[in-house]
Amino acid sequence: MLSYLLSRLKYLKLLGQNYKLSQSNSTASKDKDEKSTTSYLSASLKNNLNLFKESLGNNYDVVIREFTINMPKQVDGALIYLTGMTDSKIVNDSILKPLMFESQLDKTTLTSKLDTIEMIRTTMLSVGEVSKSNSINDLVDNCMAGTSILLVDGCTEALLIMTADWKARSVDEPKTESVVRGSREGFIENLLTNTTLLRRKIKNPDLVLESMKIGQRTKTNVCIAYIKGLANPSLIDEIKRRLNNIHTDSILESGYIEQFIEDAPFSIFATVGNTEKPDSVAAKILEGRAAIFVDGTPFVLTVPLLLVENFQTSEDYYSRPYFVSFIRLIRFMAYLISILAPATYVALTTFHQELIPTPLLFSMASAQEGVPFPAIAEAIGMGVIFEILREAGVRLPRPVGQAVSIVGALVIGQSAVTAGLIGAPMVIVVALTAVASFVVPAQTDSGGVLRIVFVALAGFSGGFGIMIGLIGLFIHLTSLRSFGTPFLSPIAPLSVADLKDTFIRAPLWAMITRPSFIGSQDPKRKDFRLKPSPPSEKESQSE
Amino acid sequence: MRLEKGVISSLQLFFLVNCFIQGALLPLTFAYPISKHDTWLAVIAAMIIGSVIALVYISLANLFPGKNFVQINDLIYGPYLGKFISSQYSLFFLITLSGYLWFIGDFVLTFIMPETPMSFIMIMFAFVCAWAVRQGIEVIARMSVVFAFIPAIIVFITSAMLLKEMKFTNFLPVLEIPIRDLIQSTHIITHISFSQVLVFLMIIPSLNEQRRAKKPILLGMISAGLILVIGTLRNIATLGPLSPVVTSPSMEAVRLIDIGKILTRLEIFVAMAQILLLFTISCIFYYAAVLSIAQMTKLRTYQPLVVIIGVLSIVLALISYQSRMQLSYSIMYNTPIISLHFYLVLPFMSLIVAKLRKLPQNNGRN
Repeated sequence: MLSYLLSRLKYLKLLGQNYKLSQSNSTASKDKDEKSTTSYLSASLKNNLNLFKESLGNNYDVVIREFTINMPKQVDGALIYLTGMTDSKIVNDSILKPLMFESQLDKTTLTSKLDTIEMIRTTMLSVGEVSKSNSINDLVDNCMAGTSILLVDGCTEALLIMTADWKARSVDEPKTESVVRGSREGFIENLLTNTTLLRRKIKNPDLVLESMKIGQRTKTNVCIAYIKGLANPSLIDEIKRRLNNIHTDSILESGYIEQFIEDAPFSIFATVGNTEKPDSVAAKILEGRAAIFVDGTPFVLTVPLLLVENFQTSEDYYSRPYFVSFIRLIRFMAYLISILAPATYVALTTFHQELIPTPLLFSMASAQEGVPFPAIAEAIGMGVIFEILREAGVRLPRPVGQAVSIVGALVIGQSAVTAGLIGAPMVIVVALTAVASFVVPAQTDSGGVLRIVFVALAGFSGGFGIMIGLIGLFIHLTSLRSFGTPFLSPIAPLSVADLKDTFIRAPLWAMITRPSFIGSQDPKRKDFRLKPSPPSEKESQSE
Repeated sequence: MRLEKGVISSLQLFFLVNCFIQGALLPLTFAYPISKHDTWLAVIAAMIIGSVIALVYISLANLFPGKNFVQINDLIYGPYLGKFISSQYSLFFLITLSGYLWFIGDFVLTFIMPETPMSFIMIMFAFVCAWAVRQGIEVIARMSVVFAFIPAIIVFITSAMLLKEMKFTNFLPVLEIPIRDLIQSTHIITHISFSQVLVFLMIIPSLNEQRRAKKPILLGMISAGLILVIGTLRNIATLGPLSPVVTSPSMEAVRLIDIGKILTRLEIFVAMAQILLLFTISCIFYYAAVLSIAQMTKLRTYQPLVVIIGVLSIVLALISYQSRMQLSYSIMYNTPIISLHFYLVLPFMSLIVAKLRKLPQNNGRN
């Protein structure tokens, strides 16, 4: 059987290689095709307009506005843009109006040797971003992204005028990561706004925002953000290599990118992080990581991701260290409870009754009396019911969601116990697990899977099974890597200096170095001796 | 071409050795019946003797930097005799692995899961070992960093909690037993823990700084040896004359903890911690067995051997011993004598032959 599986795997591998080969061939041929069929503008406006009508089709949102440019000798021109994706105010006031009525050409410009199109660009348009192009494909692509195209009769080049602007949600508080203290703004669906939010946090020319287009059909804008001099160049190269390897037709959300570039596609742990908050992206970039912005989603990816990052929040760094350290430990404990509590209960009641203190054992036994199912069936059943309730609560509209929770809590919880179908201790354990699983939102999904696995192990082989499961989990976590960084660092491999921000959060003045495993080029974050202290005696005397 | 591409740091090697020696806390059971309440002296003696023997292994490794034990044997004894000796060691690693598998099966059967078939426990345990070995030495070494702390902390905490139960008169009279028994006990302890450091000759080539293996290995042995001494002292002081009698002194001693009727039955934590350590030891022997066979047969990778060796070791464990008494008898009276050949005679001979043939110079020129 094993050999059969192996042969299947080999077949899949070969299939993948063939696909890659054919893919590279087809892209090569496509490049060739594009080059051969790329058409360029001609001098005649009428021909050019026909070309455009051909490639843009009869889309109702395409506007082709023909008009006469008011230069000393009247020239025909045409403006092509998409309504809805362009700012009509710019089109009307800064392009059409100056071209048609407010010619400011004087004699000297007229006599200069500039051609018509260059003259329009330099003297007549009051728009910030204007460029020239003569390839139809290029022009159409830009037009689709909201740029207006100005064609002038007698010119073999067209002007690309940046007019892109469309309705977007306003910047408001992120829904997934709410905070008590700290910035309340969250990313929105517009790429430019998102990068601007980041730029406003880090006002530094070293913050590099490199843009690229991914997706043969959607042509989604993707932007890599990092700080030159902090991020490891090999990390940036690796990200670019993986992004360039994505040959797909559509990118609709950053989750698409995540699944194409992650290191361990078969792992239940994500090795690419995501966040909705500009301040946490800024903090991660300042630690030497890189962020990947994708147009059309408020979720920004950050790489490399470490396991401990799931247990950190941006608020940890804004509050004072003692309470935060306590809360960090609580989070680790809550995660362990959320994956181990039902399994431990099952193991204790099924195999290791002698480990339960005797009075507790009596009360548990009396509560369990008359319950028809074994503990493992109870645990798995309740776990599944809880997941169903949770999913229903997420998907349903708000008012109906409340009804679901009432049905879940009262009918299923209370009645099942009174009817004697499920023991009361099991309900307590499942409820505790449910609450604990919400403490670390980033790992809720992995926790749900692990919980079931551990319950199964505990049901079949008790405490030893849980132990084996934990060792297996640890092996898996230790072997994971995220863009070259060990996923479990700084715990394994151990880095004593980095433990300052793992189980506890050291005071900010003590966090002098950046995390070493991310491989920052400039390891020192701040000066020594920043610890606040009352003015020393000498200073106060001199004052 | 190197079979193992993973690289470990000297800190990781330190913790790996530390785990490896600490894991002897449970197998030390076999020494109690012989040296009784003087076992702690035997542990200290074994630690000193073991460190001296380890120096031999380290100097052997330093003569041939970047070469693992099989390659060293080939260089010293030539291809045929070298292969013969290496195959002896591969078999020895395999047998030791199966011994550990049997030990863990028996341990779990006695203390955690009395009604489970032993083969099932062994298969589960061997499965995670195989998983770790497939991931390579890097993962095993990284895990050992975490695994070394947990049992050490548990030994210290339980020692503190047992202070109430301890009677230090239990140690008196010191050296009551005949010196012959002390030597035998020392020999057993050296055999079941300290001289097994030999297996690290397969791992030292993965160290990032060759020739720097001495410090982490010796420090790891001594630090873990001290923890063993503390654990042994705890057991003897708590159990007194019972310590040679009970099945597992560590478990029985910790079972006596009862603080305010709340902190009781803590032996489950000892069991869990010891499983972690036994896991590390088994992984190292498993890895060494797999790697040595792959090296001898000149495979490109050791991965295909992992499952085969795992199955073999389980079968070997199941047919080797029928009862705990058999295992005890074998570890107390038979295998220490056989292992002298592997742990002492052959390595010393290798070192002497290498010196006589002035091999490292040749090797340096190549």
